[in-house]
Amino acid sequence: MSAPIAADPIVELVGVSKDYPLGKLTVQALRGVDLRIERGAFIAIAGPSGSGKTTLLNLVGCVDVPTAGAVRIEGQSTSELSEKQLTTLRLHKLGFIFQSFNLVGVLDVFQNVELPLLLQGGLTGAERKRRVAEMVDKVGLTPQTRQRPNELSGGQRQRVAIARALVTRPAIVMADEPTANLDSTTGGAIIELMKDINREDHTTFIFSTHDANVMSHARRLVELVDGRIAADHPVAEAD
Amino acid sequence: MAGSPLAQARVLAQMALRSLASHKVKSLIVGSIMVFGTALVVVGTSLLDSVEAGMERSIVKSLSGHLQLYDAEAKDDLALFGGATMGGDDYGEVPDFGEVQRVVQAQDGVEAVVPMGLGIANMSRGSELDRALDALRRAVEAGDAATREAMIHRVQRLLELTRADLTNSRAITADTTDLDANLAHVERAQQAAFWAPFRGDDLDAKRAALDFLDTQVAPAGGDGVQYYLRYLGTDLPLFARVFDRFRIVEGEPVPEGRRGLLINKRFADSQLKLKVARLLDDLHDAVTLNDARIADDAALTAKARQARSLYGSLTLMLAPEDAAALEAALRAEFPDVAPTDGQSPLDALVQAALTVDDDTLKARYAFFYAQIAPRVALYPFRVGDVLTLRAFTKRGYMKSVNVKVYGTFEFAGLERSELSGAANLVDLMTFRDLYGQMTEAQQAELKAIQAEVGLERVDRADAEDAFFGGDGDSVEKTADGSVFGDFDVARIEREAGTRVADDRPFTREQMVDGVVLNAAVVLKDGVDLDDAQARIQAAVDAAGLRLKVVDWRAASGVIGQFVMVIRGVLLLAIGIIFIVALVIINNSMLMATLERVREIGTLRAIGAQRRFVMAMVMLETLVLGLLSGTVGAGLGAALVSWMGSVGIPAKNDILVFLFSGPRLHPAVGASNLLVALVVILVVSLISTWYPARIATRVQPVEAMREA
Repeated sequence: MSAPIAADPIVELVGVSKDYPLGKLTVQALRGVDLRIERGAFIAIAGPSGSGKTTLLNLVGCVDVPTAGAVRIEGQSTSELSEKQLTTLRLHKLGFIFQSFNLVGVLDVFQNVELPLLLQGGLTGAERKRRVAEMVDKVGLTPQTRQRPNELSGGQRQRVAIARALVTRPAIVMADEPTANLDSTTGGAIIELMKDINREDHTTFIFSTHDANVMSHARRLVELVDGRIAADHPVAEAD
Repeated sequence: MAGSPLAQARVLAQMALRSLASHKVKSLIVGSIMVFGTALVVVGTSLLDSVEAGMERSIVKSLSGHLQLYDAEAKDDLALFGGATMGGDDYGEVPDFGEVQRVVQAQDGVEAVVPMGLGIANMSRGSELDRALDALRRAVEAGDAATREAMIHRVQRLLELTRADLTNSRAITADTTDLDANLAHVERAQQAAFWAPFRGDDLDAKRAALDFLDTQVAPAGGDGVQYYLRYLGTDLPLFARVFDRFRIVEGEPVPEGRRGLLINKRFADSQLKLKVARLLDDLHDAVTLNDARIADDAALTAKARQARSLYGSLTLMLAPEDAAALEAALRAEFPDVAPTDGQSPLDALVQAALTVDDDTLKARYAFFYAQIAPRVALYPFRVGDVLTLRAFTKRGYMKSVNVKVYGTFEFAGLERSELSGAANLVDLMTFRDLYGQMTEAQQAELKAIQAEVGLERVDRADAEDAFFGGDGDSVEKTADGSVFGDFDVARIEREAGTRVADDRPFTREQMVDGVVLNAAVVLKDGVDLDDAQARIQAAVDAAGLRLKVVDWRAASGVIGQFVMVIRGVLLLAIGIIFIVALVIINNSMLMATLERVREIGTLRAIGAQRRFVMAMVMLETLVLGLLSGTVGAGLGAALVSWMGSVGIPAKNDILVFLFSGPRLHPAVGASNLLVALVVILVVSLISTWYPARIATRVQPVEAMREA
């Protein structure tokens, strides 16, 4: 089953460059990248270390803004938004999955998943609890609901992170090397989980990876080399 | 965008608590400082409040009352417990106390208005020789042979000492004319023949010998001792009623409408008492109350040495039968003591009894009061004596008043406080005499005397005629042709010596309607001080009385500001501790924040605004502050109540005064706890403000960095 192709891209990068000062030098992490990502995409960004994968993800994830060019999320250029507005945008439209899971250590599974909903507000307590329970169930952690991250395995932690990223029903989920800290079996299961959610909810997934196995799960693969897109092609579904 | 404030707060609180629990060492260190700080605030402020309340009781219930009124144009501020100058303060005057009392007494909440006037008088005690001669004369006049012989013996001993003194003085004096004359008189009095008439029947011969001793010998025996006596003239019965700390120790209160002096027991003990007794008292107090050791304290060692050297002053005072009895008692106590050169056996024994160290002090102190003290005059007055007080009046001339000592008094609970010995009490009429104000009765009396002696106004032109008559020799001559007869100097002095108290009674009206220097207002229980002060000030202003109304704190002089000074010191100490706490909390929170950069970045990435991060960091310290504060306040309160039940001993006189008794029983109030909690929370917030600011600056990108 293939995702529907929308007329308007959910993410659009036009001539995006990003420079970082590094001492007296300037590192050009991205050099004029153009990229359109359609709603419901399941796209992998690949490339060697220092190729600009993370920078690209940061720009799309609205935790950073480009030095030149424009990053548009649902048509809205991130450069035109204040920091506060960017934060609100992230809260409501984006979900994040991190390489090191980045769970709040002092909160249990349920509370970690609940956190974005608390930040958003607007739900009744009961509704919020139902949403969290449903999400925890979806990632298969109902028995671990009241455990804290340090009591969970790496795979379980990443599932919590996925649940946290998805609980607000974001339009886009950003995942930075989501399987890098997991063994291949667990990593594979995580990718499968993400893929399932993508199929069911049409949530757009953008993830960076340098794992060929993971890349093979993507429907589209963008390869970066030295801050430029070296290749951008669909991937045959590996079933 | 508003979030769910309540649910957010709950999760923040939970994060804070759990974060504290997971950083146990940090929480423990910061928490301990906070506990200590809070406990310190609770204990410190409770103690200070108790001290202030104690001091208020000490001052209000002993001398000042709640408010004091005095001349609005006074040059100096009222200082009931002594000001900067020794009695030289000018408090102006209140010309008509009666009017003041009527106006102020009419105000709500006023229990009593007590008239007052402070002054300093001088009082002298004759030399030992003067007193021995006085006793000898009384014995001779009364025909009391036993006392006469005892006194002759005593005078002879004193003459020996006087002679030795004069001989020593002569050796170091250039012009010895006067000394030689004195020495000749003393030597004459030392001859056996001089005393022969005392055993005979010729009273005139005895009187002649006594007169010689009084006029020629006694002046060589020294001037005696001068004492300065700070006195408070007041309505004594009213004073005794409203100042409930006042208590008669010995003797009786001065009756209504009578003149009289009440000597402050504390003043008597610290100023008037026989020096050797005072030294022993000091040593005994230091050792028993302050756990001092004579051997370890240079000042105490010096006092012990001085006490030992003063045996002569005691043996001199002893009557022969007392001397014999004491010698027997001492011999039993010190069988091996032998006199050194020039010492009598009694001298040596008394010296032995006065030789104290840490081991012997308690026993010898008890021995002194059991055996020696009853046989000597410990004080230069006895209850019932008439003392002559001399003071410079307002107009600058010296005035003497003879006043009877009715008794001694103390302020209950403040017996040991030097400051409670600040004033002796006299009746208001005696005060006015010394102050130089004549009562209406005295003015009437003066007029009567003037009328009686036929005094009349004389113009200057007629003065000579009026005074010396128009003609003739108006100056009478005595038989031997001298203008003035021989004054019987000795007799005049003698009569001056047998003092007669001014014992004219007075009415309440006479006492009330006259000059005072100030007035104490004692308020009823529960009356608000500031409010009463304002009302009374308004009332006296409205009545046209030029008076200022001050509270007890201001009226008591430097001592009233004492608590404020201690409070300042305490605040400084608390301030320093909290600055240290601030730095430590700030540092440790900063470290914690830096450790949590990735977590904070993650929160920011998933959509937490800066203020959420701010609240998260602040709340953590706030929760710690609240917990530690509660524990600290609890500990502080427990400590204060423990101190309250055990009592803090007042180790010295000033503390006795500040504690309003020998022990302070502090109590903790709700305000002490509340202040402590507020302070600790404010400190928490201030100390975390900077780390929290740093936390809000953490960029969401930080979440993406590799762990």
